[in-house]
Amino acid sequence: MDISIILEHLYLVFLSVLFSVVVGLPLGVLAYLNKPLRKIVLWVVEILQTIPALALLGLIMVIFGAGKVTVITGLVLYSLLPIVHNTFIGLENVDSGIKEAGKGMGLTKFDRLISVEIPLAFPMIFTGIRIATVTTIGVAVFATSVGGGGLGSIINQGIRTQNMKLILFGTLALMIMAIFFDFLMIWINNRLVKRTSN
Amino acid sequence: MIRFENVRKKYGDTVILDNLSFNIEPGEFVVLIGPSGCGKTTTLKSINRLITPDKGKIFVDGQDISEVNPVKLRRKIGYVIQQIGLFPNMTIEQNIGIVPKRLKYPKSKIKEITQELMEMVGMSYEEYAHKYPSELSGGQQQRIGVLRALAASPPIVLMDEPFGALDPMTRSILQDEIVKLHKKLKKTIVFVTHDMNEALDLADKIIFMEKGEIVQMATPDEMLAHPASALIRDFMRKSSSSADSSDLTAADFMKTKFFSVYKKRSIRECTDLMARQHIDSLLIKNDDDTFAGIVTIRDIKKHGKSSGSIGDITPYDNITSSISENAKESFDKLYNTGDNYVVVLEDNKTIAGIISKTSMATAMADTLWGDMQ
Repeated sequence: MDISIILEHLYLVFLSVLFSVVVGLPLGVLAYLNKPLRKIVLWVVEILQTIPALALLGLIMVIFGAGKVTVITGLVLYSLLPIVHNTFIGLENVDSGIKEAGKGMGLTKFDRLISVEIPLAFPMIFTGIRIATVTTIGVAVFATSVGGGGLGSIINQGIRTQNMKLILFGTLALMIMAIFFDFLMIWINNRLVKRTSN
Repeated sequence: MIRFENVRKKYGDTVILDNLSFNIEPGEFVVLIGPSGCGKTTTLKSINRLITPDKGKIFVDGQDISEVNPVKLRRKIGYVIQQIGLFPNMTIEQNIGIVPKRLKYPKSKIKEITQELMEMVGMSYEEYAHKYPSELSGGQQQRIGVLRALAASPPIVLMDEPFGALDPMTRSILQDEIVKLHKKLKKTIVFVTHDMNEALDLADKIIFMEKGEIVQMATPDEMLAHPASALIRDFMRKSSSSADSSDLTAADFMKTKFFSVYKKRSIRECTDLMARQHIDSLLIKNDDDTFAGIVTIRDIKKHGKSSGSIGDITPYDNITSSISENAKESFDKLYNTGDNYVVVLEDNKTIAGIISKTSMATAMADTLWGDMQ
């Protein structure tokens, strides 16, 4: 029981969410811009979410072998749904008058996206990232089954040795982490969008 | 400046624009009007290529716009819409500077333009330039919407029911401002509305459309004098008196300035008041504010005593109207009784106002010759 195991867990979560954003944001934008691809993208990320987390990690382990790469790949795929979905919904829901004004004044599609639509969709996108973060903190428990470490190993060890203290420590640490990040991100979001929202 | 040549547009089987041809001269203020679905907005949006016609050609400044890059075309054409569409994530200055910035104007120049434009509509740069749109009222937001369209000094400005969502007061102020801006800046303005009053007030030329065709293109005077169809006449009648005369109620014509006293006031005080105000009668109220009647100077004389309270005199039972009563009925009462005025009562029998022969005359003049104010 030491702090390094918590840090390891956080490290897994952080990298996974980071890659999820890197992959998910463009996918959400793609779904928004391209109608034919929209259905496919949204369908795929939804299907991914329906695979049990443990099974998904197991499947990926067949390809990448046991280790951190497998864990992070699995967690990324797993947290794509809220990010892709919220990015798409956020962009789609930007007021049509604002979109039309931008177009009518001669802003290019890309310009509108960068200067107006993504900034306005930001609270929604950020909510997606927050949900992904909180879910990933929980799901990352399975990392230990595919050799990834983290707090899952503590709980696993606790179950194997019937050590109640160990199990409680792992669970409590996870819960506190999840709640802490949830509140932290809500607070950040509120600070960022205070003035511009109407 | 803008020329349509046999422009056609269909959505499915519905014809939106049917062989539309017209010409707009530079500096003209043209208003497109007609019933909903007549194609006025489609016409407007074809000018900046937000909508592409199926057939026909549109020329802006002698150039076929289908051969111009739409982004470049739009940056030379101002665009104002009913939903205003200011970017909420940008300050007022950033909103106004949006097109100039993309045309690579230097920063100092953009600031200069913003200051100049804001001054023109009487908004202080210091106070508003760094605010966000949500911190402004609807009228102020649309002012900025108009300024944003003017910022890169485009020769043409398109306006799609820009004042449609504003309250009547703000709307008329902005209408005045747009007329002033047009006079000053000499832009070619194409303006869509369904409000004939607005069209008559603003336009150099009105284009009346119906079912994708132009029914009449004429100056406001010409259209008023010789409406080309029954529908146009109908449109003009509807707007010439904003409310149908049969819908007017007593409340629309009553004067709310009148003199009333409670029964317990002394007769002397009342005669003093009448002398001071040069009136020959007073409205008498019961203690609960309900209307009791009228006492005239003649009644007081007949009473003979100046001591005691006004309540001692039996008030004259004047004819009354209720506030929601049709105006014509109130006028009939006034005319038939020969009294100087009719007292208008609220539903709870308190006094709302009076209708005198003067208010009647004003009302009649209004309907005959338009708004007298």
